[in-house]
Amino acid sequence: MITSDLKEELKKVVPEERIKENHELENIFGNTGKVIVATETEEEISSLLRYANTNGKKISVIGGGTKRGFGGVNEAEDILLSLANYKGIIEHTVGDMTLTVKAGTTLKEIQDYLVDFNQKISLDPTWPEEATIGGVIAANDSGPKRLGYGSARDVVIGLRVVYPDGSVIRSGGKVVKNVAGYDMNKLFIGSMGTIGVISEVTVKLRPVPKYESLVLLSFPDGELSEIKSFVVSFLDSVMEPITLELLNPSLVEKLVGQKSYTLAISFEDVKSSVLYQEEFVNRIKPPTAEMKILERALAMAFWEQFYHLSPRASMSGHQTEASVKIGVVNLDVLKVIQKAEQISDAYNLHIDANGGLGHGLCQVHLYGASEDVEGAIKELRAYASSLGGYATIKHLPLVLRQKVSVWGERPSYFFLVEGIKKKIDPNKILNPNRFIGGI
Amino acid sequence: MAKKGLQTSNKDIINLAKIVGEKAILYKQPDLLAYDCDGFTIHKHLPKCVVFPNSTEEVAEIVKYCDANQLPFLARGAGTGLSGGAIPLNGEVIISLVKMKRLITVDLENRRAVVEPGFVNLKLTNSIANKGYYYAPDPSSQYACTIGGNVAENAGGAHCLKYGVTTNHILGLEVIMPNGEIVEISTNGVPDAPGYDLLGLLTGSEGTLGIVTKITVRILKNPEAKQTVLAYFDKVADGSQAVSDIISSGIVPAALEMMDKTAIEGVEAAAFPVGHPKDIEALLLIEVDGISAGIEEQINQILEVCKKRNVREVKVAGSEEERGRWWANRKTGFGAMGAISPDYLVQDGVIPRSKLPEVLARINQISEESGLRISNIFHAGDGNLHPLVLFDARIPGETEKALKAGSACLQVCADVGGTITGEHGVGIEKREEMRFVFTDREILAQTDVREVFNPKNLLNAGKLFPSPSRCAEVKKDLKEALKTS
Repeated sequence: MITSDLKEELKKVVPEERIKENHELENIFGNTGKVIVATETEEEISSLLRYANTNGKKISVIGGGTKRGFGGVNEAEDILLSLANYKGIIEHTVGDMTLTVKAGTTLKEIQDYLVDFNQKISLDPTWPEEATIGGVIAANDSGPKRLGYGSARDVVIGLRVVYPDGSVIRSGGKVVKNVAGYDMNKLFIGSMGTIGVISEVTVKLRPVPKYESLVLLSFPDGELSEIKSFVVSFLDSVMEPITLELLNPSLVEKLVGQKSYTLAISFEDVKSSVLYQEEFVNRIKPPTAEMKILERALAMAFWEQFYHLSPRASMSGHQTEASVKIGVVNLDVLKVIQKAEQISDAYNLHIDANGGLGHGLCQVHLYGASEDVEGAIKELRAYASSLGGYATIKHLPLVLRQKVSVWGERPSYFFLVEGIKKKIDPNKILNPNRFIGGI
Repeated sequence: MAKKGLQTSNKDIINLAKIVGEKAILYKQPDLLAYDCDGFTIHKHLPKCVVFPNSTEEVAEIVKYCDANQLPFLARGAGTGLSGGAIPLNGEVIISLVKMKRLITVDLENRRAVVEPGFVNLKLTNSIANKGYYYAPDPSSQYACTIGGNVAENAGGAHCLKYGVTTNHILGLEVIMPNGEIVEISTNGVPDAPGYDLLGLLTGSEGTLGIVTKITVRILKNPEAKQTVLAYFDKVADGSQAVSDIISSGIVPAALEMMDKTAIEGVEAAAFPVGHPKDIEALLLIEVDGISAGIEEQINQILEVCKKRNVREVKVAGSEEERGRWWANRKTGFGAMGAISPDYLVQDGVIPRSKLPEVLARINQISEESGLRISNIFHAGDGNLHPLVLFDARIPGETEKALKAGSACLQVCADVGGTITGEHGVGIEKREEMRFVFTDREILAQTDVREVFNPKNLLNAGKLFPSPSRCAEVKKDLKEALKTS
């Protein structure tokens, strides 16, 4: 079907003003659509999916567009469903500390709204002013603070999801504890939009901490064993860090100007507790480590800057940019960050890397020539799997995604993942090929 | 268990005994009686037999045999479940996991442990306590219930307000699929495994998607300090308001529990009385934990809130011993109802915290209408109510009345935007009440998931979902709707 015909047909499905022909198909990240439909209601999402499902049309879903370089091997589907205009707070019950929002609301919009109530969503993904809550949840994005507050699966208590057949499924609810039926929320968190379009999200909120600070502990000698022995004794203490993130020297240089391995340790609690924990770090740190304390405003500014350093689809430069998420057993994060440093030299790449020693996730950002980026990713992946972990490519131009697997090998439980996809989206209309094993 | 030689000619029992050994199978009726129900005693049914495997491989063999021979089967832990999830409705082969109770590894540095499903919840904490670590989910039955059962039910507990429920602490699972295949998901504890979140789906699936044979859990460091506060209120409304005030003041208590007058009468008449006044309407048990230096400030704030809400008396536990007594009094609260009533039925609704006063008033009304006393013990901090309907099963018709009153309580919870179960599960008990919160299409979405894992539905059939006829109709309607559109 030629695009103008598709556009005509879609006018019968959703209001005309929502539809627009896409004249910028040659996006280097792909995952776009010949026709863009920017829905503004759940009914419109539902009508569009029902239409696509019965007419063999494929849909790519987009929110703020920060993750267009994440998964997928196709340049364009028939339709690009945009949720960017489907935004706003639906319900905020202040006393219950729960919030329901439309999927296209950005994280920043939500946090700005909540600040007046001294509450927040405890997720800290990158690019909060662009990333929508729907996208963050569909991609299961998280930041260093997941050590203290958990990730999307610990925060989301309810979803409304539009299924490929157009029906709307509610999972979970508006209460913080719920075991009625299967925990269907989990199914959609991290599902990359392949089995349903998340339209509404209900989360539990946290109070804004009464006080916070950030301890930067840098290790000028670069001795990983020294970092490890500090971390082991710190984790064995009763301290309650919100982050325990190891940053590689080049990332530290971007953030604070000094080039050495650094641990970013956040404390968020009442002031007396935060001060006590700072003092504890000071007491047990190795003599060669340098300690700097950033008080509340500076700590917030540090993280603010941190959330804006990862590559995303709207960036454009001469060199290839890539971002890899690596999951390993907690303390193996040290090895991964060290490996990233070695790879940076071996492949002549600029690499920024950070990883949480209390939660096992690393983010490695690579900048350089495309063949070097490709080689480095393969080496990182092989290394992660030798540690029993995995590497997922969160950001890479389309041409490279067509060459290097975004998700790596199929896991042994893949038949279940595939079975779920087939059951819910048998016609493969949603984000085709965007997820593991080509689903 | 069987002494020497099997005294049966049943081929299934003979074949299953070949897998687990003759001493690890029960099949005679008197032996099976103990397995005709779990902690939900209203429905009973005898199993075909009970097998006690000792390894993952034995479980897999048993399951393969059942699958090949069309025998319904289910897994059972300690049998403490409160919604009937382990009741052999269809004369199942019960796979009891109590022999699989090893603590396989503890890795303190990476804060993970691997246990077999029959390992008792509290034993895990006890095994690592000397190093200052613990396992957070603490259902009231933790001295007996198994971690495998906790995974099946996504068990909660008094301290999940701050630390989350079982699903927040499961890092990996080894699972036997209903066809006997062994599947490992993140058994080394690496987070965010690529693919849909199968761990999240399996946890709380009430034993209908697979049988877990190894569980990798997160373990936590004990908080540096704990303080516990007990507050007595003359009015339920004041107590509920204090709950809201505490939460909205920015404190995240480790636990925030409430008991009403009838519940207090029960616990004071039972094994662990602590001398609560008889004439108060509500008590709050509040615990704050964390860094020592920060606790006092939070406790003072809590005391202030309580005073503002007309508390009659409020005190801070003076010793670990006193704190222990307060908790024993609370944690044995369900059983304590036995001291004031021959029988009781526990419900498990959840409501938005802010609806507490309204819901309690409506539960009161249900109590008056049914003529049955209803006591309330609940995790007030997270809105998880446990109305206990007191009745006497010897009086004809009273059991039905109690079931009806319990269901009415759940309807109230659903009406105010809550749900029908917060930690006990649906099981047999609340199958029909699923309709209070889900449409037929939503239930179909869930049974679709079950079909992927458990296509023959031989594993724990008849649980969790209302009678299937209507779902099948929805499916038909949907297909037709799709055809015509």
